[in-house]
Amino acid sequence: MLVREIRLRHANGLHARVAARIVKVSGRFRSRIVLCVGERRASARSIMAVLMLAAAFGATVRLETEGPDELAAMEAVSAVLVAPGERK
Amino acid sequence: MITFALHGIGVSGGIAIGRAQLVSHATLEVAHYTVPAARVDQEIARLDFAVDEVQKELTALHNTMMRSGEVPGEFGAFLDVHWMILNDPTIAEAPKRIIAEQRCNAEWALTQQMNVLIDQFDQIEDPYLRERKADVVQVVERVLKRLMGKPGSLPSAVAEERTILVAHDLSPADVIQFKQHHFAAFLTDLGGVTSHTAIVARSLAVPAVVATHNARQMIRDGEMLIVDGSSHVVIVNPDRAVLAEYRLKQSEKLKRLRSKPAETLDGQRVMLNANIELPGDLAQVLDSGANGVGLFRSEFLFLNRYGLPSEDEQFEAYRAVAAGLSGKPLTIRTFDLGADKQKADLEGLARVAPNPALGLRAVRFCLAEPKLFGTQLRAILRASHYGKVRILIPMLASVAEIDATIALIDEAKENLREQGEPFDANVPIGGMIEIPAAVLAMGGFLKRLDFLSIGTNDLIQYTLAVDRSDEAVSHLYDPLHPAIIKLIALAIGGANKAKVPIAVCGEMAGEVLMTRLLLGLGLRDFSMHPAHVPTVKQRVLGSDVGAIKPLVERIKRTDSPAKLAALIDKLNA
Repeated sequence: MLVREIRLRHANGLHARVAARIVKVSGRFRSRIVLCVGERRASARSIMAVLMLAAAFGATVRLETEGPDELAAMEAVSAVLVAPGERK
Repeated sequence: MITFALHGIGVSGGIAIGRAQLVSHATLEVAHYTVPAARVDQEIARLDFAVDEVQKELTALHNTMMRSGEVPGEFGAFLDVHWMILNDPTIAEAPKRIIAEQRCNAEWALTQQMNVLIDQFDQIEDPYLRERKADVVQVVERVLKRLMGKPGSLPSAVAEERTILVAHDLSPADVIQFKQHHFAAFLTDLGGVTSHTAIVARSLAVPAVVATHNARQMIRDGEMLIVDGSSHVVIVNPDRAVLAEYRLKQSEKLKRLRSKPAETLDGQRVMLNANIELPGDLAQVLDSGANGVGLFRSEFLFLNRYGLPSEDEQFEAYRAVAAGLSGKPLTIRTFDLGADKQKADLEGLARVAPNPALGLRAVRFCLAEPKLFGTQLRAILRASHYGKVRILIPMLASVAEIDATIALIDEAKENLREQGEPFDANVPIGGMIEIPAAVLAMGGFLKRLDFLSIGTNDLIQYTLAVDRSDEAVSHLYDPLHPAIIKLIALAIGGANKAKVPIAVCGEMAGEVLMTRLLLGLGLRDFSMHPAHVPTVKQRVLGSDVGAIKPLVERIKRTDSPAKLAALIDKLNA
């Protein structure tokens, strides 16, 4: 299992559109992908779960990936978390 | 009826007067009943079906939106979010367990589950994230409407009367549908400056007041409303004096806008012309404050009749409009018959072409029927004596067609001279740019013609090889395809360099979200439905061509549709 901690720098935190992109990206991998904020844990495959994490600006998100493609999944989901909203 | 005022946040300025139309909210009307054990599976299937239908609805809206390019690109992202919420197990699966456990109806199960989710959202500290519960409610609302057998779409505005939409809240899917209706104003209980309603209302230049808290409960269907977006106020059931006062305010503002020249913030003068189909449309043109008529479609002469209109009959129709414009320019497009405008009683069109859009139509048909064409040309020339008339030739693909048409015009002039009929010997002759070949080989056009007009609808159809009326491919019709932008840029740039006047007279010209792009590409002459003239003028008045130039340069170079949409949003921000 891989673990990485990422601090959210987007003004509105894990807002709906970023959450949607996390779900979309996660759908490409077979690994288990979990986001944690404090005590709360959410499957990256469920938009409701990700939204309910209530990860606001400045929150630290712990990203866990486990499975055959855990490294690729970690990189892809991290990329969304690190630069949310950036589409260029 | 009691007059009262409601206060909110005016997110889009201006005054609208009209009748209220309430949007029903399924979440407020859900009934509870028990389902016999034997029917539980059936109830679950009913929920599955409704979720499925809403999924299709959202996908279809997404496609419509991408095609029209009329709605800010971020709405695509909002629809994606709603699609995912709809497919999330908490919405698509959890209510099924409730149905099975409590033996209740699908609507009730779904509403209960929604309330559970709302409670969870309410515990979120961050106010922005907490408000995402609105997305959940909006998605559930759509599914409930399906379950209750009500279509998900908004009621359509009654065309003859100004209609003001009053809703508790509006979802992105709702607001995308606004584009298909013509509401005079929007009112919502919820919302803020950045809500979907606000964004769309501003893009449509329609007054809107949001965050009224209880407008939806206080106002009844059909009540008279004044929405003053600039003063953040709504007046319900105004008395005659108040109504008169606001009508005056409204008309003065329109009058000021009407007489104001269309000029950008950095002093670029822009021509805003009107497209008309019937001589009777003239009054609306004069009312709109348009500079003149940029496109007078002449096919009306064939409406509801048998046989061909005579030269005198045509002359009379053209003359009336030319004279009525009192010196303002009138661009008459010669017959664009064929293709979708089939006229079986015309000999040349009696046979059904296998591919009408690529067949014998417009100038091709006219050149094949020189007698019919000559009659029209003589009638137009005669009308040129009574106003500032210009002749516009549709669907040119090659210089040979231009030369043949000019030869016919010269012949018509010769005829009239012999008959001693007065006409303007220097009547300008222009061509429509609607076939990609015309753009790519524009040099010959620029040498032979006095002006050009881009017909974007056909240009898109021919460039992308998409028939917009064919449902199977209509989603591929994309005004913002990089190839379309490049072709339009090429045409405008080429004409400006050669100092040949060029206009856009397709739907794009009247679309306020395209105004800045076209200005940035160098366009200074727009022709549109007269109803769009005031809104486009407002956009022109608020645009700085110098400032948007770098962004437009980037748009011209972009090949990625997603990037393009983002850049266009930025341009319109």
